Amino acid sequence: MVFQITDIPRILPEILLLFLAFMVLGSDIFEKWGRSPAARLERARSSASLTTIGLGLIFVIALVQSGYVPGTAVAATAESSNPLLNYLINIVRNLQAGGPGGAPIIGVFATDHLTMVARLMLIGAAFLTSMLCLDYLPQANPAEFYAMIIFATLGMCLMAGANELIIAYLAVELTSIPLYVLAGYYRNDTRSAEAGMKYFLFGAISSGILLYGMSLAYGFAASAAGGMGGNDLTQFQRIAELARINPEAGTGLLMLAMIFIVVGMGYKVGVVPFHGWSPDVYQGAPTPVTAFISTASKAAGFILLFRLLTVAFPGLTGSATLGSELGGWTALLALLALLTLIIGNLAALPQTNAKRLLAWSSIAHAGFLLLGLIAWASPHGFDRDQGTVALLYYLVVYSLTNVGAFGALAAVMLTVGGEEIADLNGLAQRNLLLATLLTLCVLSLAGIPPLAGFFAKFYIFMVGWQAGAEWLVVVAVITTVISLYYYLRLLKAMFIEAPISNEPLRAPPAITASVSLAVAGLIILGIFPNLVLGVISRVQVVAGL
Amino acid sequence: MVPTAYYILLSAALFAIGVLGVLVRRNALVVFMSVELMLNAANLAFVAFARERLSVDGQVLVFFVITVAAAEVAVGLALLVAIFRSKRTADVDEVSVLKG
Repeated sequence: MVFQITDIPRILPEILLLFLAFMVLGSDIFEKWGRSPAARLERARSSASLTTIGLGLIFVIALVQSGYVPGTAVAATAESSNPLLNYLINIVRNLQAGGPGGAPIIGVFATDHLTMVARLMLIGAAFLTSMLCLDYLPQANPAEFYAMIIFATLGMCLMAGANELIIAYLAVELTSIPLYVLAGYYRNDTRSAEAGMKYFLFGAISSGILLYGMSLAYGFAASAAGGMGGNDLTQFQRIAELARINPEAGTGLLMLAMIFIVVGMGYKVGVVPFHGWSPDVYQGAPTPVTAFISTASKAAGFILLFRLLTVAFPGLTGSATLGSELGGWTALLALLALLTLIIGNLAALPQTNAKRLLAWSSIAHAGFLLLGLIAWASPHGFDRDQGTVALLYYLVVYSLTNVGAFGALAAVMLTVGGEEIADLNGLAQRNLLLATLLTLCVLSLAGIPPLAGFFAKFYIFMVGWQAGAEWLVVVAVITTVISLYYYLRLLKAMFIEAPISNEPLRAPPAITASVSLAVAGLIILGIFPNLVLGVISRVQVVAGL
Repeated sequence: MVPTAYYILLSAALFAIGVLGVLVRRNALVVFMSVELMLNAANLAFVAFARERLSVDGQVLVFFVITVAAAEVAVGLALLVAIFRSKRTADVDEVSVLKG
């Protein structure tokens, strides 16, 4: 397999993201900026708007490329007598030449439907985050802040498509290192610096564990390949293939590799007992960055975990049904999900800081998300496909909701000056729009119909039940009921408690716009889930399965 | 030729020392070093397996890991400097404003 010139359009969004990051950095360096506060503000604004517009454009390009918008799929022979229209048709046709499908590029980077949907979700989350940052002005060198967001997005897109150990590791690091910088961005604020430090320490340890797991997986492939050497031993499919044709060779080694990889990725996506960093990091990091870490980074982590486990370790799937067949990675994930659901939801109950409360809630959501992976325990291909679809749907909904919720908190932080639950008191009287938006996000997190969160939860419970993890679904339903208590505390503060002052709050327009976009998505997905499910159900065709 | 298993045992020992160092030591710099030890344990395993099968990809991976580790530790040290400026300590237990 060699890299061909026709592979370039397939990674066009990634190339454009890289280009945009350098453009944002360059526009700041090569321009001569004044030192007055007005010039500084202009400088931050120009970086921010360049990032937002650029990410928006890349999102549109990725959307056209994927051909998911009805009516944009252009036939190869389509032609028009109007030269301008013809020109546009040609552009779309060239973009769609790199659409979903085909073998992974040089065996390492898959551009299947899963990558396409993930790309749209991740770039969309980055777009909403950069909109949140428009009013949340960074300090000294604003371009660095925005370039880091774009670099991290690039890393996440690569994570979503990684089909080989080297690129998987590099993508994880390309995501994590900019996020450490972003979390500790306000370095003069003790809390932000501490968040960055904690994120870095846990992240570095998890990378070490992940890498060691990868080295064992590679070692397994190297010993199972025997004389057949070759230079494709790091590819996920190759590892699975060698395990299949050579069942005697070191199953213990493969099992150990799988456990290390699950632990390493478990840190990245924040499941109990590897969640220690997330409440602190979510609380200390600048709020738009928290929105980004809690959504895009977690989503990319889940997609990479999904690919690693299903493509590279299909032989170790096992079963999550209570009884003698319990084993394999589905049982391991079921155990983690059980701990995550219970501890995540219980620890959220006594929190007094709204950001920290949402951090625990997002840990709890990681537990629900694991159910989508556990669906692989089912022997029926149909249930497995449903698991993938449910996982992706949940990730999309969860990303929209959490960007919205943290975005609304960013607005509260900027206007009220704190993010304690007490700072939300009487928000409905001071800014009804913001309170309504935050309420809708919180209700969706809690899973109240007709918002999208309800359908996502229902769907993922259903696939978990089908896969034989009934006990886990029962626990998940009970903890969902418990979670209502802490979500309703936020609503009580907003609608019932008396405000500190009756003065109306003026929420920053860009943040309101970003949160409104996210909430509009939630309502549309909740009432018409088929709009997105039709697209997401195509992800069943995963490269290498 | 030394059997590959010996290299793997050494790498496992290094990894265990690294994990222990991370868990036990409280000085952030020593924790960084322990993390490096974990990464290098993995590197050693990669190189040993790659040499056994005369395959190149394991050795190429090690170059990437070394580069990434350098970038990672640079960010870590910068964060440590930021913490040290305000706290005057590199002890990871002292960094505990956020809790609950």
